Amino acid sequence: MKKLLVLAIILRLLVAGFLFHPDIKTIDFQASFLKKGVFNIYTYLVENKKSLTLKDDFVYFPLTYFSLGGYQWVASPFLGKGFDSWLADAGSSTVVENPNIFRYLIVLKLPYLVLDILIAFLLMQFFEIKEDKRKAFVFWLFNPFTIIIIYAFSNIDIFSVVLTILSFLMIKKEKLFSASLLLGLASGFKLYPLLFIPFLFLAGRNLKEKIILSITPLITFGIIILPFISKAFFQSALVSGLTTGIFTSDFATLALSLLFFYAALFDKKINLLNYWISMFLIIFSFALFHIQWLLWVAPFLVILSVKKPEYSWLLFLFGIIAFAIPALFQDRYMTISLFRIYSVWFDMLPTPFTFIQKVYDPVNIQTVFHSILAAGSLVMTYKIFKEDE
Amino acid sequence: MNKLIWFTTSAILFLVFLFPAVLAFGIKLIPNGDQPGYISDQRLGVYGIRDISQKFTSEKANLSAIGTSVRNPNLQNKKDITLTLFDEKMNIVRTTTINGRNVEDGNFIKFVFDPIPDSKNKTYIFTLASPDAGPGETIEIFYIENDRPGQTMPSWIVEYTYDKKVHNGGLPITLYFKPVSKMDVIKEIYGDLFLRLLSNR
Repeated sequence: MKKLLVLAIILRLLVAGFLFHPDIKTIDFQASFLKKGVFNIYTYLVENKKSLTLKDDFVYFPLTYFSLGGYQWVASPFLGKGFDSWLADAGSSTVVENPNIFRYLIVLKLPYLVLDILIAFLLMQFFEIKEDKRKAFVFWLFNPFTIIIIYAFSNIDIFSVVLTILSFLMIKKEKLFSASLLLGLASGFKLYPLLFIPFLFLAGRNLKEKIILSITPLITFGIIILPFISKAFFQSALVSGLTTGIFTSDFATLALSLLFFYAALFDKKINLLNYWISMFLIIFSFALFHIQWLLWVAPFLVILSVKKPEYSWLLFLFGIIAFAIPALFQDRYMTISLFRIYSVWFDMLPTPFTFIQKVYDPVNIQTVFHSILAAGSLVMTYKIFKEDE
Repeated sequence: MNKLIWFTTSAILFLVFLFPAVLAFGIKLIPNGDQPGYISDQRLGVYGIRDISQKFTSEKANLSAIGTSVRNPNLQNKKDITLTLFDEKMNIVRTTTINGRNVEDGNFIKFVFDPIPDSKNKTYIFTLASPDAGPGETIEIFYIENDRPGQTMPSWIVEYTYDKKVHNGGLPITLYFKPVSKMDVIKEIYGDLFLRLLSNR
């Protein structure tokens, strides 16, 4: 296990140091204002937009700002003097040609590495048998998908993912109140865990417990965002495309509602893990998802793969298809531009979208992939519930 | 499980160490750097006999394309836009034409021509014109005039001529060069990466 862990860490450090998505620089530029004493990042960015070199809003929730900003404050001695000017650099080439970029990226992605390894150990807690624990450990650390999502795309959703895993560990121990509290805390980083409230409500054994379980995440989330409530916060984070994107698809809303009413009217013994997995399979089937969102469900699919090994290959196939869909967006940073650290000459290469467009409509291919993913996910959802019966 | 470990380890090592070399095989043109900055409301109109000329020095051999940003509001110009490249003695070296239909407003447009093998350190002049376009089909070209306060172009962008007047500076152009060989591109990419890794302070 130790050797595997070392290998897993080396692979992660390689991707962390050499592959670059600009999101990490933008988010860390914004988080850098914490060490300068800025508490409300939402209003600060809106009020100072004219004088800032990077003009994006802060689209995440407050705990992301405090976690990243706090870490940056601690890590400052390792980042060096030029770090802040690198963060503020709006030049497209100078950023990736900076010789210190390797160090910056590795230091900035270190919290992800710690949480990523923590996830491997948390996943082992879901199993009693040693062999299953080992499988969970290996499936998590050696699936190529999460390495790319976390370290190439610099996915800060990992903060909320860890909390959702902890929440399900609480559910396993039948501590539903702690689980709902952790989901509320997770939503302080990213809003998606709140989608699960209707199912928490159904899981309650009586009306009082149902109300407590569904209100707790909301109150926790409310307390976190309370000091920041402002027009800037609403526009930047609460109603941003990143938060509301799931509901841009009517089918996603319809299918999630179907899942809820099935649970409410037919399911006599609710297995929350099944609903959590199904909820995301439905979202990825019908919504135009960001590649980072795949991390929300990845650890839980590892649990599913260990419990039902016959699904492993199918889930691996789903992973490839789910990766192929956003790779076909006309967005250079989904593919080629991740390698700009090696050379900005890669800007001369066509994206997969442009390349495929010469012979066929890439949007059609995306639709085909999405349909296959939807069909597979829906059948798998059906099978998960059927087997539980 | 062992298969998965082997697969992922090989895939990640390939991605980090070899995939950039695979990508490098697709590079057909190498730019001489980023496009110089320009001021968005400083533009010159080109139509009919009203053209613009730019003098520049090519710092490398195999000059193969010249790119700049072109405004074509509402795709109003659907006529030919021609770039004619002259040597210092005003002999035509290359000519290339694109149609205004393919020029979206504000896009960076690349005028590609056959490589000029001996272009290293030579001075050239190009003229950008849309001879069949009327005043309602004007395309607009951005420029920077070195004599104005706060405006500077790199030294290889020498001077431009518009309305028979010569000014220092000129168009925010990028030059493109055909690589000598694919292996040279790969060597240069990895060599530069290695140097940056070593100079990491």
